[in-house]
Amino acid sequence: MGIKKDLSIDYLGVRCENPFFLSSSPVGSNYEMVAKAFEAGWGGVFYKTIGIFVADECSPRFDHVQKEGMPWLGFKNMEQISDKPTEVNFENMYKLKKAYPEKIMVASIMGSNEEEWRKLAKMCDEVGVDLIEGNFSCPQMTSHAMGSDVGTNPDLVRAYSKAVAETTKIPFIAKMTPNITDMTIPAIAAIEGGAKGISAINTIKSITNIDLENMTAMPVVNGKSSISGYSGAAVKPIALRFVAQLLQNEKLKNVPLSGIGGIETWRDCLEFLLLGCRNLQVTTSVMQYGYRVVEDMSNGLMHWMDERGYHKLDDFIGSALGNIIPAEDLNRDFKILPDFSQTKCVGCGRCYISCYDAGHQAIDWNADKRRPELNEKCVGCHLCLNVCPVANCITPGEIKWKDGREKVGVALKKSYE
Amino acid sequence: MSKVIKSTYVSEAVDGFTPRTAMEEASRCLLCHDAPCSKSCPAGTDPAKFIRSIRFRNVKGAAETIRENNVLGGSCARVCPYDRLCEEACSRCGIDKPIEIGKLQRFAVEQEEALHMNVLQVPATKKGVKVACVGSGPASLACAAMLAQEGYEVTIYEAEEKAGGVLTYGIAPARLPQYVVDHDISTVKNLGVKFIFNTKIGKDISMEALQKEYGAIFIGVGLWQEKLPEIPGVGLPGVLAAADFLKKARKSGGSYHPGNRVVVIGGGNVAMDCAVSAKLLGAEKVDIYYRRTIEEAPADMAEFQYVLSLGVSITTNFAPAEVLGTDKVEAMRFKGRDGVSEAKVMVDTVIFAIGQGADDMTELAPFALNEKGLIKVDDFCKTNIDGIFAGGDVALGGKTVVEAVASGKIAAVHMMNYLAKKEVK
Repeated sequence: MGIKKDLSIDYLGVRCENPFFLSSSPVGSNYEMVAKAFEAGWGGVFYKTIGIFVADECSPRFDHVQKEGMPWLGFKNMEQISDKPTEVNFENMYKLKKAYPEKIMVASIMGSNEEEWRKLAKMCDEVGVDLIEGNFSCPQMTSHAMGSDVGTNPDLVRAYSKAVAETTKIPFIAKMTPNITDMTIPAIAAIEGGAKGISAINTIKSITNIDLENMTAMPVVNGKSSISGYSGAAVKPIALRFVAQLLQNEKLKNVPLSGIGGIETWRDCLEFLLLGCRNLQVTTSVMQYGYRVVEDMSNGLMHWMDERGYHKLDDFIGSALGNIIPAEDLNRDFKILPDFSQTKCVGCGRCYISCYDAGHQAIDWNADKRRPELNEKCVGCHLCLNVCPVANCITPGEIKWKDGREKVGVALKKSYE
Repeated sequence: MSKVIKSTYVSEAVDGFTPRTAMEEASRCLLCHDAPCSKSCPAGTDPAKFIRSIRFRNVKGAAETIRENNVLGGSCARVCPYDRLCEEACSRCGIDKPIEIGKLQRFAVEQEEALHMNVLQVPATKKGVKVACVGSGPASLACAAMLAQEGYEVTIYEAEEKAGGVLTYGIAPARLPQYVVDHDISTVKNLGVKFIFNTKIGKDISMEALQKEYGAIFIGVGLWQEKLPEIPGVGLPGVLAAADFLKKARKSGGSYHPGNRVVVIGGGNVAMDCAVSAKLLGAEKVDIYYRRTIEEAPADMAEFQYVLSLGVSITTNFAPAEVLGTDKVEAMRFKGRDGVSEAKVMVDTVIFAIGQGADDMTELAPFALNEKGLIKVDDFCKTNIDGIFAGGDVALGGKTVVEAVASGKIAAVHMMNYLAKKEVK
């Protein structure tokens, strides 16, 4: 029943039934969880990171950021890598692969020295996982020899990638930390070391809220707290930026990328695919809503493909990447004046307030009619359009060319949801 | 002064959601585990799933979920008694007020039409078996759609000139606009279901002829017999039965004027529809009289509230005693439930909405009837006659549209079983 489209994709030589994977996190920690996720429709799992180190966790360990009643805009997590014995985790992965041969099992591993990385890679080889991801990016490890402290050091990333690549033929993916200015440096180091793929991004170091009872950050652990990883919808823009920068790099442009960061809906999935990702990883929305979120990712993406006449993901992967260009290359010869719908306007005056206090005082307020009136000071910034609470009330209108500039055809966005 | 709604006969009682307001409402949904709303629909609609789809920006998926389950998803979104079905079950009631499930369903179906979706498909291979549905109300339409989706060749016979039965002729357009009904019916037509109008079985074509031509038959003709109380003066011009009045109003498209003073007698949703219609058709004074209390009345509270918002009055505990007048109705006399109170009201038109009866179905075929004079069916909607099934109001009595849909679907499943067995023989 319902729409059917082919969502399968080749990712690092592995055929995946769809690009929707759980990222290495609490959502894929044991056999029962992963089995349920597979039944729900996920194409594969990056099983929760395994190390020789076994984590000793604090309580509580989560917090979230809200704005105007909307919870979970961003999510803070203090969990480290798996707290289960290494052998138990490998056994789970082995059993899962046997029970679900069509699903893709990715082992996420983290060592604290070359020897540990080799040892973990060898265990992955013996279990027969499909892919291996190196966690160079967890920002809340209790050891500085692991996690994002490693990920910001290109020499260590290169050396550990090499250690894995020399140990096993299973393709190795390096997971990047966003707690760095230029992600291409460690990404290139990983590829030089022998990694075949890159995933981005892991969580961002954060303090979400200050607790006024205990005068510390959230969550409160015996009156104290720590800086730790931030994820969820709020980080998607940052993730997309890193993804674009990686794929626009000459040395990385052909490296299969797995996109991570704030994915909740099919639209989010599509955005990562349009930048060129071949795989998608999700945790935070599963923590909030459960494995079932994959149903609408899959169905919604199929409907979009149907609408556009696409038959497979490769028909559109990367379509948006080339249109993201350096700021200096943008056409700056024109401005687009906003058009105000007199019938849709409800007379709230928010456009007036924002334009006056944060824009260019280009809107006069007609107090009798309770309507905005655009004056000649408008620079076409569209702050008014962004602040208007009514759909398609303020829309792009007349194009004005700066004096002496050459007129060209202008591609416009016409509809705002 | 109370603010009374001024409206027209064809304008809708409630505005729908926009994509933004629908998202706001869907965001209120708690996305429950084992969602209670999804267990409360007689027709098996899964609100938890379609609301989640709206929440996750998959409006097409939401429309798909609704339409695949209920071919009358648009009409049901308008007329379902949500407040005592899915919305009553909503967990959000424990916080403030339920999610507006009906309105979200309406939004999804409106988007289905706006986005030109064709959710329901006919299978490539046809069964080559012909089936007839008699009547084109909700039960017949649901039955026909299900059979057509399985590859059966379905023909619907309708006595009126338009399809929809009670949806088209028996509900005020403020509550159920005709374009909503027409869109639902177009999805049935798109499945290749044939409609034959102005043809009454038993009059224009005999039941025997139908039985010869079709492998199985579904009877879903509804309840259209006027029911008037046996009181003096009931035969005077100006006295109408509800079904008759609503049909006249719908057929007129709003031009029918029922007079300035209208009294509606009854306490169900049909009575409310009559009062709404009379008011919106231009009657100055519309009063509802009901023999019991509001609490005992079968109408939904939302419908009571809506008639009140139009300025209609409701008087309870008064039963009709006599229609007064010489050439036509001039006044109504009521008797109080306490045995003492009395009321006499000047009136131009009296509408009795005290339930509808079935035509004598034994004239059509030798059907076994139940104690209410309705066609007797078993749990599978089977009648006593081989190959003939029945559902909707003509078998269940005056129930809701969604219950009619549910019975049409049950009948379709068992008609398929019946036809499959027949083929084997």
